[in-house]
Amino acid sequence: MSQKRNATELGTQPIGKLLMQYAIPAIIAMTASSLYNMVDSIFIGQGVGPLAISGLAITFPFMNLGAAFGAMVGVGASTLISVKLGQRDYGTAQTVLGNVITLNLIIGIAFSIITLMFLDPILYFFGASADTIGYARDYMLIILAGNVFSHMYFGLNAVLRASGHPQKAMYATINTVVINTLLDPLFIYVFDWGIRGAAIATIIAQVISLVWQFKILTDKNELLHLRRGIYHLQSKIVKNIIAIGLSPFCMNVASCFIVIFINKGLKEYDGDLAIGAYGIVNRLVFICVMIVMGITQGMQPIAGYNFGAQQFDRVTRVLKLSIYGATAMTTLTFLVGELLPDVAVRLFTTDEGLISRAADGFRIVVLFFPIVGFQMVTSNFFQSIGMANKAIFLSLTRQLLFLLPCLIILPTFMGAAGIWWSMPISDLIASLVAGVLLYKQFQEFKYQKS
Amino acid sequence: MNDHYVINLGRQLGSGGKEIGEKLAKALNIAFFDKELIKLASDESGLCKEFFEKADERAQQTMLGGLFGGRFPFISDGTLPYGSFLNNDSLFKIQSDVIRSLAENQSCLFVGRCADYILRDHPRHVNIFISASKEARIARLMQLHPITEEQAEEMIEKADKKRSAYYNYYSYKTWGAAATYHLCVDSSVMGIDKTVEYILQFVKHKLGLA
Repeated sequence: MSQKRNATELGTQPIGKLLMQYAIPAIIAMTASSLYNMVDSIFIGQGVGPLAISGLAITFPFMNLGAAFGAMVGVGASTLISVKLGQRDYGTAQTVLGNVITLNLIIGIAFSIITLMFLDPILYFFGASADTIGYARDYMLIILAGNVFSHMYFGLNAVLRASGHPQKAMYATINTVVINTLLDPLFIYVFDWGIRGAAIATIIAQVISLVWQFKILTDKNELLHLRRGIYHLQSKIVKNIIAIGLSPFCMNVASCFIVIFINKGLKEYDGDLAIGAYGIVNRLVFICVMIVMGITQGMQPIAGYNFGAQQFDRVTRVLKLSIYGATAMTTLTFLVGELLPDVAVRLFTTDEGLISRAADGFRIVVLFFPIVGFQMVTSNFFQSIGMANKAIFLSLTRQLLFLLPCLIILPTFMGAAGIWWSMPISDLIASLVAGVLLYKQFQEFKYQKS
Repeated sequence: MNDHYVINLGRQLGSGGKEIGEKLAKALNIAFFDKELIKLASDESGLCKEFFEKADERAQQTMLGGLFGGRFPFISDGTLPYGSFLNNDSLFKIQSDVIRSLAENQSCLFVGRCADYILRDHPRHVNIFISASKEARIARLMQLHPITEEQAEEMIEKADKKRSAYYNYYSYKTWGAAATYHLCVDSSVMGIDKTVEYILQFVKHKLGLA
């Protein structure tokens, strides 16, 4: 009956305390996984060279595509498992777990085979040049070879979280970050393996976490554990997983295409280093975005429950607090970007051409960041009060609907700068739209109350 | 547990399943639960009734993965959509807790809501499905509501789709398939009252009631 206790707590405890309690673990997990990407980029930039960062940035869409499949299985499976655990139907929950493992094996291996067969053409399509393809290829060969482990690791982490072990899932994430951070300098500086070293460190870190996950899941005392006879794919389970996981899948695929657009445009107008500059800015901004997402994750259950209980004052309070927190974070990023962009950028490289491009880009990209926090919280807010369509729409405005036209039109007038400017412009328009939708929603609340 | 038993009744829209359930419960002198379950569930949770009504017998929608900010590529394992109390999955959980606690203290008959799956571990349960011919369903709906034949047909189609999606999503069994239940009856063959009598016999034999 823990659900019942949680539910009352959500309706009665002070909002500030609740938000802290729910958001902090999410923020830690988010920060850990974004640090992971950042550490890799820093070692590659400092240890291998500026063009290696471009090579790495070219592989981002690949990562998105991989993450798209991972998210599909992960989101789908964890939803199904938590429903089954809620019904104390442990047998079926285990079958879902077994199916997740089989599905991840199939998808992970198939993804590797298909992409490895066409690796060079794909990388050129993603924006590689004769100078950068070597790095991109070296990196991707190893990442793709180990792809099935990555898939399995992400899938099982989602399962662990759904089966009542959110801390263990968080430890697994932190574990991969720490191991990766230890192995990166060893492989890159000591063994001199170059960009390959970073890829090997990534895979090894994930394999170690995967072994630990398996250790937890083979424990017979766990409600959810591996046993014979659960691995045979069942059409109902697979169908449900795909049905639930389809929209996160599509979101990731969409962002994959956007990144291809950005990379190709930057290369065309400003050359390989511009892609590397985007890679750096991307990593920096990403930490901020992930922390904001941690806040919104903490907000979701609180806003959702109180909306359901029609305690609109509490709904408003948690929304306000989340917007304040998110805005503080995005404003901090804005200040860093405007005042000392080169300090942040220098973490990644010593190459002056790359530094100036990345610093300029950083300054442009974060231009409207003080209001982006509001935009992200708002779209998540609609999600938590059960209006998924508005949430999807808002999230798409910033990442696709307004961004894509800008990316197509602006560069024809402004060159590479047009690509950089597309991001703050779509941020601005998307935030305005979010403001309008939220305002309308609150008018409706008032109407309902009276 | 003790001598309590439960009857779980699945039904097609327009098959007279609810009426059969009411008459059956009356004949056996046990509690009957249909839509009022929703009110009980909402009282239990502190949530507002409307949300349960909106979610009633509707499977979880494919939902957004909370993957905001994804313009920046990442491999993320921290962005899963948990904890929203307003998704159909958690409303189903609350409602099934209510069903279980009701069944603990008394004999009862539940209409719909996957009760047969929720109470699958109950030591004394009978699962029944009521169907009817399409003509009979349309006729019954037209008698109950001021609608045309086409509208009735459309209602039936929609309801079948919705109920089977809901049932199959939560139970992993097949709605309306004979193997899912202990007994499946077409109510248009004998009419409502005869069907009730017939089911009564079956229930008594199955549960060993006097």
